[in-house]
Amino acid sequence: MILNVFSISEIFVGVLSSALMIWAGIYSLILYRRQGKATGLEEKGRIEDRSYLVFLIAVVVLIVRLLNWPFFYATLQSFIRDIDGAMCIFGVTQVKPLFTKFQEILKPVVFFLIGAWLLIHKLDLATETSPLMRRKLLFLSLLSVVVIADSAGDTVLIMSIKPGFLVSCCTTVTDILTRPTRTTPESLLGPGYTRILEISYVISNLILLVILGFVRWGKKWHSITPWTGISLLLVFLFALVNGFLFILAQIEVLAPKIMGLPYHHCLYCLWQYVPDSIVTYLLFILGTFAVGWGFTTAAIGGKGEAVLILPHYVRGIYSFAFFCLLGSLVMVIIHLLMG
Amino acid sequence: MRKKARVIIIFVIIGLVAATSAMLKVRSGVRCDHDGTRIQPIYEVTFAFQDATNKQFCSVNCALLDLRNEKNRPKYVTVVDEVSGTKIDANLAFFVKSEVLTIPHVKNNIHVFAKKEDAIRHAKQFNGELIQNPFR
Repeated sequence: MILNVFSISEIFVGVLSSALMIWAGIYSLILYRRQGKATGLEEKGRIEDRSYLVFLIAVVVLIVRLLNWPFFYATLQSFIRDIDGAMCIFGVTQVKPLFTKFQEILKPVVFFLIGAWLLIHKLDLATETSPLMRRKLLFLSLLSVVVIADSAGDTVLIMSIKPGFLVSCCTTVTDILTRPTRTTPESLLGPGYTRILEISYVISNLILLVILGFVRWGKKWHSITPWTGISLLLVFLFALVNGFLFILAQIEVLAPKIMGLPYHHCLYCLWQYVPDSIVTYLLFILGTFAVGWGFTTAAIGGKGEAVLILPHYVRGIYSFAFFCLLGSLVMVIIHLLMG
Repeated sequence: MRKKARVIIIFVIIGLVAATSAMLKVRSGVRCDHDGTRIQPIYEVTFAFQDATNKQFCSVNCALLDLRNEKNRPKYVTVVDEVSGTKIDANLAFFVKSEVLTIPHVKNNIHVFAKKEDAIRHAKQFNGELIQNPFR
């Protein structure tokens, strides 16, 4: 195991998160079932009082897990000098490639679900009657499973990465001519695929921004109807397609241009050589996920008193998504123009 | 009005950060023109082009990867003798592929020698073989 301040913090947070979420998950499930069976107002009130502690602990742990996603990569970055052959985070990921890949895929899923829950929780707190209590408890108990998997996975992974392991770094994988991010678009779009990807990236983002602008500032909707819900779902799906296009365009076209290394396609190197690209990615991720959070909030939050404030609340989420995505696009365009 | 001003200020800061970063280079020292890693002088490969520009690489492997993508062929290629550290034309050098990795992150196992006897000695010692100039 590589011992440094990052790895020790990661392990400590992982163990503590796992333990607290095991308790929170089980207790929230118990409270959910009790609330379903409760008949009198007094009994429901007692269950509500007990739920405050579990929600308090859940909020703290979940915010820590949200911040853990960039901290995870900072930890991997700190391991570079101890792994022979590693020149960027990619090299470190090659020590335990499958396990690291699993954690890297799990993290955005966890991030999204945590954000969705926190927004539902905030919406419920803004009401006086807490109409979303049961839904929050059920959501939390399900969420705890993935959070525990993420926390425990981080702990085991960090402990299993050892020094003295010789790896190849990114160049032997990301720059080969047969890489799938090159061969697939090239076979579909032809030899000029890089230009098409670059233009598609900009157009797709602009279309999404226009849609978000319309949702936010267009004709005011005063309630969430099934049709509104379907529309928001379609917008989220488009945002996911846009996200996929972002990754592809970054790997094949934008990252090499921004780094000034025309034939190098490693995103980990981009974060290393152009540190503000981390902000670009953060804004893009927050913007894309916020589109999804708007949908999940609209889908889950339409009950009781919350229905009255839901449209305004969801519009606020889309406002946040709009500015994050716009900020990300502006940063990329500035880099391309000035590079 | 206050909210609008806050949003504008945030965007101005974002723009300034991006613009400053685009102008500054975080990378220090002489860096490989393929993957940006620091160049160890003894393994440096240089491409010189017709238009008097050149490109530097950390290893023969990176130089070859770049050459596959490069539309313009370099006018000449300079490599470094691993024994003496002197720069020589690639056409005059001897290349050996062996078990020894010089630049681990690109798994570079192609070595450069100015003298044939040095190349043969390395090949015998490290289970290698002499190869043709890979830049031809």
